[in-house]
Amino acid sequence: MLIDLGWFSFDLFQITYDGVLLAVGGTAILAALGVVLCSSPIYSALYLIGHMICLAILFLMYGAEFIAAVQLIVYAGAVMILFLFIIALLGGKKESQSFDFHKFMALSFIGTVLAELALSARVGPTRPVTGIFDEKLIADVGNAKAIGLELYSKHLIPFELASCLLLVAGVGIICLSKFTYKPPQRRSN
Amino acid sequence: MGQEFILLVSATVFCIGAFGFMVRKNPLIMFMSVELMLNSVNFLLIGYSNILKSLDGQIFALMIMAVAAAEVVVGLALILTIFRTRHDLNVDHLDSLKG
Repeated sequence: MLIDLGWFSFDLFQITYDGVLLAVGGTAILAALGVVLCSSPIYSALYLIGHMICLAILFLMYGAEFIAAVQLIVYAGAVMILFLFIIALLGGKKESQSFDFHKFMALSFIGTVLAELALSARVGPTRPVTGIFDEKLIADVGNAKAIGLELYSKHLIPFELASCLLLVAGVGIICLSKFTYKPPQRRSN
Repeated sequence: MGQEFILLVSATVFCIGAFGFMVRKNPLIMFMSVELMLNSVNFLLIGYSNILKSLDGQIFALMIMAVAAAEVVVGLALILTIFRTRHDLNVDHLDSLKG
């Protein structure tokens, strides 16, 4: 929707889209800070759920409806509930925080890495990779179906390998929880 | 609001996650920081898949989610096992192998 004021014209839809994008991105960054800075693990988990929901909204705005739904169900649902269960089981103890030399070193290192990464935002347009699906085709068949077609034709082997990985993880958990660790007996001499 | 927004947001979240992983002592919060890093990469992939009009980024994000789910489950089982034997949740105290 183009609004023309004569001396100044703007696209109302584009401005709203950009504003929502900025607001949700800023909220995601703030929630990430909350995860790292909270001393109690339960608050960190709640902030992480907020961060996941913000990311799901961003995914929706970038036209990835299926991934947004998976993000909400798998991450904000299953994984975070698992985290909350473990926190409830272990008892979320507060952690005393102090600013020492170790943290200063970590902060300076991270600042350097962030500056380097921010420089990468200055790269110009990269060489476009043209996929099979363009915007019209995705709008035609729907995002989930397009992903399914791509996943089960072009990316079949990674998909099967991922299922093997999940199976191995399941077996590993059973091994970890079934066979309990006994501390070695000290030899008497 | 093109690729600069995507790059800056995902770089910031990734660095926050890396900072949390280096600084925090609680293994649960360290795992949450790893989740932050994985999620920032997911966001980058999906944003670029929208810019480049290709679905490969979304497939990649799906694979990252599968790997992250497996990693979280195994990691939490490890933390639980360590807690059952030591009754302590501080990674700085796990120095039995230290020479």
